[in-house]
Amino acid sequence: MQGDPTGSGADASPAPVAVVTGAAGWLGQNLVRTLARAREQVRCLVQDRDDAPLLENVAPSVQALVGDIRDPATLDRLFDGVRAPTVFHAAGVIHPARQVRELFDVNVGGTQLVLDRARRAGAVRFLHVSSNSPFGANATESERFTEDSPYNPYLGYGKSKLEAEQLVQLSFDRGDLATVILRPPWFYGPYQPARQTRFFAAVRRGRFPLPGTGTNRRSLVYTGNLVDGLLRAEVAAAAPGRAYWIADAEPHQLQEVLDTVRRALEAEGLRVTHRQPRLPAAAGVVAAEVDRALQSRGRYVQAVHVLGELKDTIACDISRARAELDYQPEVALLEGMRASVRWCLRQGAAL
Amino acid sequence: MSGRSLLITGGSGYFGTVLAEQARQQGDRVRIFDRNEPAERNGFEWAPGDVRDRDALRGACEGVDVVLHNVAQVPLARDRALFRSVNVVGTANLLVAARDAKVAKVVHTSSSAVFGIPESNPVREDSPCRPLEDYGRAKLEAELCCQDAVRGGLDVTIVRPRTILGHGRLGIMAVLFDFVADGAPVYVLNDGANRYQMVHADDLADACLRASAREGPAVYNVGAGEFGTIRETLQALVDHAGTGSVVRSLPLGPARTAMQGLARLGLAPFAPYHWLLYGESLWFDITRARDELGWEPRQSNVSMMIESYEWFLAHRAELDGTTGSHHQSPARLGLLRVLKQLH
Repeated sequence: MQGDPTGSGADASPAPVAVVTGAAGWLGQNLVRTLARAREQVRCLVQDRDDAPLLENVAPSVQALVGDIRDPATLDRLFDGVRAPTVFHAAGVIHPARQVRELFDVNVGGTQLVLDRARRAGAVRFLHVSSNSPFGANATESERFTEDSPYNPYLGYGKSKLEAEQLVQLSFDRGDLATVILRPPWFYGPYQPARQTRFFAAVRRGRFPLPGTGTNRRSLVYTGNLVDGLLRAEVAAAAPGRAYWIADAEPHQLQEVLDTVRRALEAEGLRVTHRQPRLPAAAGVVAAEVDRALQSRGRYVQAVHVLGELKDTIACDISRARAELDYQPEVALLEGMRASVRWCLRQGAAL
Repeated sequence: MSGRSLLITGGSGYFGTVLAEQARQQGDRVRIFDRNEPAERNGFEWAPGDVRDRDALRGACEGVDVVLHNVAQVPLARDRALFRSVNVVGTANLLVAARDAKVAKVVHTSSSAVFGIPESNPVREDSPCRPLEDYGRAKLEAELCCQDAVRGGLDVTIVRPRTILGHGRLGIMAVLFDFVADGAPVYVLNDGANRYQMVHADDLADACLRASAREGPAVYNVGAGEFGTIRETLQALVDHAGTGSVVRSLPLGPARTAMQGLARLGLAPFAPYHWLLYGESLWFDITRARDELGWEPRQSNVSMMIESYEWFLAHRAELDGTTGSHHQSPARLGLLRVLKQLH
């Protein structure tokens, strides 16, 4: 094993037992499929009853518990009989159905419950999947967030993920758990939710609007790269108590992201409309204001939120993860987008 | 391969019944997992249950060597939630139960609907799957569950049949037979020159049982060896019937729209799969099943069509008020009665 720049000890070995929350989600599906064949036991929490057999079918090591992360009794059952696991806390609400309240109940309240059960189960490491959202947007198109950037949470989701990070850090500071905070930006990759498939379809048909010039930069992370990052953070000696940006090697201009999606669709044999509808930059600003007004009244509308964020630069620097975790993003944007399109096609999705 | 203990899910349905009987005749012990009791017990054990019930499946898989999985909501159900809960989640439930019970082999009956309208024919096992409607998408997702299970160490073989025919198999075919029996014209889309392959239930059962005895996961496309265009098949049927029924053409576009409209209004027994595929060519290359399973289809499109028609005639009087699966009971004519009068 490499990657012990701080000299604070040798890398740990992966725990034979893993507990995964949000196991049926976008990251969870990828993570469970990687863990399933390498661990003795993978305990999964899923919300939807139908997801349990679909995950357990992956390997005999997978056990899926159906329940709500807001329910203490559910978490007791999730950790029942589990000793010294690694906990991968990947559950979270990004786009609440209607109400902002759900963000705090799940992302903050749920995290506290998982931290508590993890401590009692003697978890050897607690990997917390956070977000770029506690940091808002970069001040300029060339700025990159580092782990030392100040918190500046963006609306309800950002605030909820910030509060969750603070709970995780407290747990480390108290000496309860060896926690690591991972901050992935915009995901892409297999097992994507329906909203990402709709995004591909809209780009393919020339119906995805680009507010402003599209020169703003965005960091993305391929789900496979993020899984690699999590597995490195599980064992890296320097990781406990630290936070890391986990993303692809470099941020891309938004127009370049959309262009790469078109190239990926074409490379996988689909006909693509090379037309990029544009919106005045003001549309993004207006959407962000509407989003802010709605959220202040507890309401959430996904389309408005997404449009409001599109104009921003949200870019990060992964130097610390490279140095301390020996994290190397293996998959680049075009390759990862092509894998995502292939996954959609294998599922029979209408793009 | 005699003396094995078999579990046949959906064993009381149309194809499951044929399969169970063939397995019994070759010496296998048969347990039937189905919500409905098998019509003929024939020494079968009945494990009542629903594939959405994981506990029931667990019990049913106990002590079983081979599972033949045939439970499915068929296209006529036109219910997306049911397609998912029965065809996808139900298959995952079965695969987990089989794996945990140390079942040695699972044969999963899929569907040619996973291919949608193929870009080219013949369709081979590795041709791209591009399902066009909810039923086909759910059947494809069920296949992906099988692939997951294979990666997890379970021996699962997928068999994809073309449209199944045989004595007692009715469903949408009842509409056709009803027209022919009464001398009404029957319709093809455009000139009916599309090659449409079917498979006889007996031949399919033979393929499934052969697949169940072959070790190692595989995929087989299964259809008749002899088949022609849809017009040739129907012409042979009306010639055989001798009722004065003739084959007529309908323009594809408007006919599709009409089928869709009637189905939406609940006035005719069509599902998207019917209006999308009836005018298209879809036929399998069955070389792999022949080579690896030593399987040879005995019935042609025409012979199975005539056999089914004769069965329909012999049982027509009793058919009103039958129960059971969509495939066993005749589909209701609905507004198609009007079309039937247009001689």
